[in-house]
Amino acid sequence: MIFDLELNNVGKVYDNGTPAVIDFNLSVAKGEFIAFLGPSGCGKTTTLRMIAGFESISSGDMLIRGERMNDVPPQRRPTSMIFQNYALFPHMTVHRNVGYGLEVKGMPRAEREAKVDRILATLGLEDIAGRKPDKLSGGQRQRIALARGLVVEPDILLLDEPLGALDANLRKAIQNELKLLQKSLGITFVFVTHAQSEALALSDRIVVMNQGRIEQVSPPHQLYTRPNTPFVAQFIGRNTVLSGEVAGNEGDDVVVTTGIGTLAGRANGALSGKSRVSLVVPAEAIEVHAAGRREALGHARNLVDARIERSEVVGHIAHLTARLEDGRAVALEAHVDKYRPGDFPAGSQVFLSWNPAEATVIPA
Amino acid sequence: MNATGIKFGLGLYTALFIVFLYGPLAVLAILSFQTGPEGGPQFPIIEWSTYWYKHLFGLTPPSRIAPLPIEQALVRSLTLAVMTMIVSTVLGVTAAQAFRKKFRGSGVVFYLIVLGMMVPGVLVGLGMALVANTLGIDRHWWGTAFVLHVVYTFPFAFLVMLAIFNRFDPSVEEAAWSLGVTPGRTFRKITFPLIFPGVLSAMLFAFTLSYDEFSRTLFASGRDLTLPLAIYGTFSVEVHPNVFAFGVLTTLFSFALLGTYAVLMGLSVRRAKRFAIQEEA
Repeated sequence: MIFDLELNNVGKVYDNGTPAVIDFNLSVAKGEFIAFLGPSGCGKTTTLRMIAGFESISSGDMLIRGERMNDVPPQRRPTSMIFQNYALFPHMTVHRNVGYGLEVKGMPRAEREAKVDRILATLGLEDIAGRKPDKLSGGQRQRIALARGLVVEPDILLLDEPLGALDANLRKAIQNELKLLQKSLGITFVFVTHAQSEALALSDRIVVMNQGRIEQVSPPHQLYTRPNTPFVAQFIGRNTVLSGEVAGNEGDDVVVTTGIGTLAGRANGALSGKSRVSLVVPAEAIEVHAAGRREALGHARNLVDARIERSEVVGHIAHLTARLEDGRAVALEAHVDKYRPGDFPAGSQVFLSWNPAEATVIPA
Repeated sequence: MNATGIKFGLGLYTALFIVFLYGPLAVLAILSFQTGPEGGPQFPIIEWSTYWYKHLFGLTPPSRIAPLPIEQALVRSLTLAVMTMIVSTVLGVTAAQAFRKKFRGSGVVFYLIVLGMMVPGVLVGLGMALVANTLGIDRHWWGTAFVLHVVYTFPFAFLVMLAIFNRFDPSVEEAAWSLGVTPGRTFRKITFPLIFPGVLSAMLFAFTLSYDEFSRTLFASGRDLTLPLAIYGTFSVEVHPNVFAFGVLTTLFSFALLGTYAVLMGLSVRRAKRFAIQEEA
């Protein structure tokens, strides 16, 4: 199978010797929506810029549709890039901005105009085609940048935090458009973001990066529910990470001895005989019970003493903060129907519990 | 001190500043309207007249005061200023473009370039004269002096362009590359139109600095004098108000130049707008 994009052991070392990207391996199928997610400085943008050709590749190989691209200059790569600040040509109209890529390719005027008009119509930009970009709103400029990048029909569209400069409502709207557009065009998208909600909502697979390395490559739901590494567990969602040692197995569950008792979860793949592990419990998986109900819960696993520290209801969501015996704070939230106001006032003694199938045991 | 006091103090300071800035010019301008040929370059004004302006253009009856020997010098100075402007601006733009990326030795090269506007003009002029003598090169305003003018004005153009590139968003160029535009075409069609106002400023600097350059030219220009040298030469005989009249005209010329600059700046904005309309049609 020929992939749209292949990165084989790709590395980037800056001139001053700082490694920015280390041993990056990824194969992207045609039409996939891939997100590079990570904190700033993790190497996600550098990787994207290597794919675009703006940064040289220090080691490894980068292939697009099977062709090695390492030494191909950016203007000859079948990629186009969307920038966070849009990078529109301020001295050209919207129409000329969008058509410029076709113009330099020497496409006949009539054909070019038709193409530009079509994409402007698709993105709802016909009315402002004659205007200059600097007079337009952020959302409009974002769409112009998209139109300009898409009209040249790249094999891969690269997007560098394209929604970062928009306000929250607009971001949501354009996010949806982006997803629909990508599905209808069938073009491979590689999207860089530091916002996990964007990555989780948009992508087919998420590449989580940290300090120049890939931490995990998974579809959003799997990434969210089954983190592979402690970094991902901390970075994605709101997990409580408890370190401990493997005590044994009970059916599908792995039993872990921690500082606050013996707890259980599911191993995420093989633990390869490691005894030092982390138990990752998503905030959504944790249930709160009044202290008096301990008997009713019987000898269920995963019962942890805690004290409610804060309890508030915002709209239809109840937010609880519980303090464990080892001093760790656990934040929980649920629909207000589940925890009615006053059920768990601050200071009340409670038990926390969770289904072992929803907790993940990973190597520490 | 209260707010009114501060305001008054600052106002006074500004007024004094303007007096010192324009005072000498105003005195020259007033004295240029002295009557001639008997009136001298001092107050009081015996009678208001435009005699000395006419004298400049040879429109007065012959008198003991010779016309200013500046005609050819003016042509030379303007030609030299234009040559210098073109070469320095091209060098300034390309050098600043090179400095957008750090390269080995860029720090040293930077100071070498900037040195050209720091070193004393008389020394450089004298040095150039000695070098020319040693190598047996004839000194000319279009040769040795021209080289010194470029060495002197190029750093100004360079620094102007460096400041322009400093605020330039390189992702605009990257966007062009990623659309398949070659680096050369990107520079001509994307980068250059965006830095054009800066290029105009660099041109203005180079032109005006070269036009009234004195100390470097003094030793390096050889037999044919440039305008500042020719005017200085007349001082050694006797000063008449015709020099002032010429000074006023030169100042007006400078204002005209500034005006042209402003118009061109405006045009570069408007031209972009016209593009917009053409596209729509």
